[in-house]
Amino acid sequence: MDFPGEVVSWFAAPEQWSGGNSIPVHLLGHLALSGFALLGGLLIALPIGIAIGHTGRGAFLAIAMANVGRAIPSIAILGIVFPISLRLHLGFGFVPTLIALIALAIPPIVTNTYAALREVDRDLVEAGRGMGMSEVQLLARVELPVGVGLLLAGIRTAAVQVVATASLGAVISADCLGYFVLKGIATQDRAQIFAGALMIAGLSLLTERLFGALQRRVVSPGLRVTRAAGPSDASA
Amino acid sequence: MRRYRTAVLGASMLALLISACSAGGSSTSPSASEAARPAVTVGSEGFDESQLLAEIYAQALEAHGYTVARQDFASRKLALPAFDNGDINLLPEYIGSLLRELGSMPGGNALGPATGDTDETMTNLAAALEPKDQSVLDAAPAQDGDGFVVRQETADQLSLVTMSDLAEVADQLTWGLPLECSDNPSCGPGLKEVYGIDIATLRVENLTACSGEMATALNEGDDQSGIGVAELCTTQADIERFNFVLLQDDKKLIPAQNVAPVVRNDLLDAAPDDFETILNGVSAKLTTDELTKLNVQVSVNQESIEDVAAQWLADQGLVT
Repeated sequence: MDFPGEVVSWFAAPEQWSGGNSIPVHLLGHLALSGFALLGGLLIALPIGIAIGHTGRGAFLAIAMANVGRAIPSIAILGIVFPISLRLHLGFGFVPTLIALIALAIPPIVTNTYAALREVDRDLVEAGRGMGMSEVQLLARVELPVGVGLLLAGIRTAAVQVVATASLGAVISADCLGYFVLKGIATQDRAQIFAGALMIAGLSLLTERLFGALQRRVVSPGLRVTRAAGPSDASA
Repeated sequence: MRRYRTAVLGASMLALLISACSAGGSSTSPSASEAARPAVTVGSEGFDESQLLAEIYAQALEAHGYTVARQDFASRKLALPAFDNGDINLLPEYIGSLLRELGSMPGGNALGPATGDTDETMTNLAAALEPKDQSVLDAAPAQDGDGFVVRQETADQLSLVTMSDLAEVADQLTWGLPLECSDNPSCGPGLKEVYGIDIATLRVENLTACSGEMATALNEGDDQSGIGVAELCTTQADIERFNFVLLQDDKKLIPAQNVAPVVRNDLLDAAPDDFETILNGVSAKLTTDELTKLNVQVSVNQESIEDVAAQWLADQGLVT
């Protein structure tokens, strides 16, 4: 059988669709890991990004600290958290992977949120102040609506990175699509390795598309970003 | 006076000539043992003990003038193809699981089985390697096989001494097994055939066999979390360190697992006689106790593999 045929028959095999190591189980695990990691990242990174973006102070320190999440290899975070998670009865592979992914999600959200708020036209901000707006009102009515494009671009970057990296959890037995890649390597089953990689890539692309569509819907037409926003915009 | 001068001149020229000849002699005619030593690339299979064995054999050869490169692979499944195509030409192995691995490959049904008897397994292994132009050198007394291990409390609670005992309560525990278990004759298929343990019906967490994470997951585990049974290696330092109980393989699932280097015949043919002598000399001194002690030095005392290997070779008088 040719290789594409092998891959197709791998997907078609019934054992892939039932039981503890089926595609649905690992897909669900993967989505859970990614979803909670993104949520966790947002809860931590958005307030920080908004604070430094609005006040313009403390940016260097905040962004440097955020980038630690990118600098430390995720697999190292996995290894460090693993025994602690076990000792605290927090489950097997999920918690250490979640923490590594949150660390990965934070830098792009902090940096892009900061850049988004800083790039809001100063005249608009001054006008708002002149109208007697409070700091919170300024954020809610001027800065965030104007900067939402770049802000969402940061969330989108974080989301795609998290979805792609969640496969790492398979190293410590977390339910995720990486299972198929590692299992394929362990048993030298090339079709399985490819199928796993295909699913992970497909999910990452889907995430990219989804957030792209969200960006288009949310950003006000008058503010359409004319150049592609992405990590390169965050000059920190 | 003139004759005296001539004699002195003649004598000193003769002396010069003689010294020149002997000096030139020792640098232009190499002795047999310095003749073309082929390059050796020794492989290992990812885990500490495998790298340690590779390092020991490598340093023993280097001490006798060989040039040795090391190459590590993540598992046997990746090292064997490299050995077959010559990327590595020396590989320290475990005779039982290697023979079983070869037996599970296409055309492997004709091979003799890996049994509990070292000599029989060695014979069958040599026969299996011959058509591939490979050989196995002398087996070391040291054996390291897969073992199934539980915490002391678990063994006390469930009265576990042997694998047969474990088979009766298999579904009550979470098992830590490597991803390749379902394909490995000494693991999944073997557990089913010999002990009636079907891993497909059990709660399994996939971790690397014989690894630190596996030992940690067992050590930190209890009735509600972590794992209850782990697949470790019988010479692993963690068994001692964490006071685990190694369940007796009463029905002999795990075959004779002596350490032995396998070597490509093209290297064996190209190398001078001392090649085999050196490696066999190392193997002769490697016992199970010695190997376990070395593992403790690497894993528990956190000493480097290079240092541990060098120290052991020196202590055994193998590098003089």
